[in-house]
Amino acid sequence: MFDWMLWTTPTALVFAGIAALLLIMGVWARLSPPIARRGFLRIETDRGDRLYIGLISAAAFLVLWIAVTDLSMLLALGGALVLIVVIGRWG
Amino acid sequence: MSDGRQKHNRAWWLVLPVVVSVAFTAIIPLMTVVNYSVQDIFSPFDRIFVGLDWFRDVARDPEVRGALVRTLIFSAQVLLIEIPLGVLIAVCMPRRGWTVSVALVLVALPLLIPWNVVGTIWQIFARGDIGLGGWAVNKVVNFNYTLDSADAWITVLAMDVWHWTPLVVLLAYAGLRSIPDPYFQAAQIDGASAWATFRHIQLPRLRGVLTIAILLRFMDSFMIYTEPFVVTGGGPGNATSFLSILLSKIAVGQFDLGPAGAFSLLYFLIVQIVCYVFFTVLTRSGR
Repeated sequence: MFDWMLWTTPTALVFAGIAALLLIMGVWARLSPPIARRGFLRIETDRGDRLYIGLISAAAFLVLWIAVTDLSMLLALGGALVLIVVIGRWG
Repeated sequence: MSDGRQKHNRAWWLVLPVVVSVAFTAIIPLMTVVNYSVQDIFSPFDRIFVGLDWFRDVARDPEVRGALVRTLIFSAQVLLIEIPLGVLIAVCMPRRGWTVSVALVLVALPLLIPWNVVGTIWQIFARGDIGLGGWAVNKVVNFNYTLDSADAWITVLAMDVWHWTPLVVLLAYAGLRSIPDPYFQAAQIDGASAWATFRHIQLPRLRGVLTIAILLRFMDSFMIYTEPFVVTGGGPGNATSFLSILLSKIAVGQFDLGPAGAFSLLYFLIVQIVCYVFFTVLTRSGR
């Protein structure tokens, strides 16, 4: 049915990851409702906002990495994950 | 309490049609673009996984970088001209009487014209031989948008200002009309000047509509395609070849779906980031 979308295993895993992330955030919000606070970003955010900012920042970081250097993308992926955690925890 | 909550929750099902239609028209096509962007596609049955190669190619392509810089400069110029001009016109528009309708119709006229017709109008209007605008400018300075890069840029910019400033005017005018009269009476009693009234009463109350105006004008100008395509075709050289024109050349002209997919996703990411930053700054700076 979805053959026309030309799926590949890596992209399927990425989308499954995003879907799982949404599901986890939804369940987490149900269990303990998010509280908005201010971190080093200096704007009021709850954890959903910070996840979004983290993901977008990570994507921008990966694009900049691929645009300027030939170093391994695994290093970039590590950096992106650190970025997401830092923004999520202290942002 | 719990009954009320359940009722409230059930209302969420009313959102379902929107979710389905957005999934059908936006999310599933976007996922398909993501799939395209990591493959070299010859046909649906003959495709090769290439990882992030297309992203690397697109992100390092000087032509793409040139188009990105041009598009960012164009959007910045559009915002810097259209937002103040739109607010200025809205402030000067009549507040009551029959002239209100006349002014609104006159201002809204350019918005009613389809994009490609706007392009055609300006393509002829800016010509030196048969266009009134081009002919008049040529009396003062030499002007030819088919040969000179700066002239082509000015033509496209002027066309966008002509076409879209009215949107800012209408939004700002609606915002101004919603300010209750007592505010102005209080300002008058305090002996506030016209500038002080604008700066401390009208401008703060326009925050909401100006947020919408800036976001709409940024997104539209950043994705501008039809008008420059009709007027200059991206030329002369690549002087007015913006991101969308380059993208459609790769996707539709050359049918390179992989690179076009990667290009689209980078384009999408930039729009997301800029819009989020604008939105956050404009809506949260007051808190």
